[in-house]
Amino acid sequence: MARMKFLCDEERCIECNACVTACKNEHEVPWGVNRRRVVTMDDGLPGEKSISVACMHCTDAPCQAVCPVDCFYTTDDGVVLHDKDMCIGCGYCLYACPFGAPQYPQEGAFGARGKMDKCTFCGGGPEEDHSHEELEKYGRNRLAEGKLPLCAEMCSTKALIAGDGDIVSDLFRNRVIRRQGRQETWGWDTAYQD
Amino acid sequence: MKIILIALTMLSLTACYEDTDVTIHEAGVYKGKVDKHNQTSEEREAILAKRFKQVQTDR
Repeated sequence: MARMKFLCDEERCIECNACVTACKNEHEVPWGVNRRRVVTMDDGLPGEKSISVACMHCTDAPCQAVCPVDCFYTTDDGVVLHDKDMCIGCGYCLYACPFGAPQYPQEGAFGARGKMDKCTFCGGGPEEDHSHEELEKYGRNRLAEGKLPLCAEMCSTKALIAGDGDIVSDLFRNRVIRRQGRQETWGWDTAYQD
Repeated sequence: MKIILIALTMLSLTACYEDTDVTIHEAGVYKGKVDKHNQTSEEREAILAKRFKQVQTDR
């Protein structure tokens, strides 16, 4: 059985934020909610690194363990999703998540927390596939269309990879072997490979 | 004096003991709506693996 995973290659990420834009556009994510974001370490210093972070769809998801209303479930593909109709917006999952994935739209005059929103691995939610309700609550269901998450599919440097964990790790292992301990950002092989 | 100092240090260090056992919370049983899919998980896996080869190939 497949276990869908994201992997971001920090040697390739150029902090273009196209994955963030693609995600927001694809799912019509409201203002103030970022299902995905690019984090830069040692910004402005030599050797700075960037990675694109969203829900990592943990195998043993802490959000799922702490949810007081048990609104999380893991699909057969290993994607962690939740039922927004059950979510009470308590914020426990935000504290439990090591990646800061859960997001809350601000509702009302005093910024009260709305229902939690997070990356769905472009897999929609517990509504009928391609229905209006699914689009409205969870965004597009690309997995049901036979497609992978848009953020990874359109990554120009192929830094962000999404797919079955076994295939993703094979691809990344080959990259590491090919690099032979040096960065891929210089050398003739980069531009004229194959 | 030295022995008293050692004894005091030992006593004070015993207070620094911290329980390192991790409290594990098991996930509860999902109570929401059932997420139905048109394809079986095997079919979807094959389709997505094919898609991966199309769009995520290395360069």
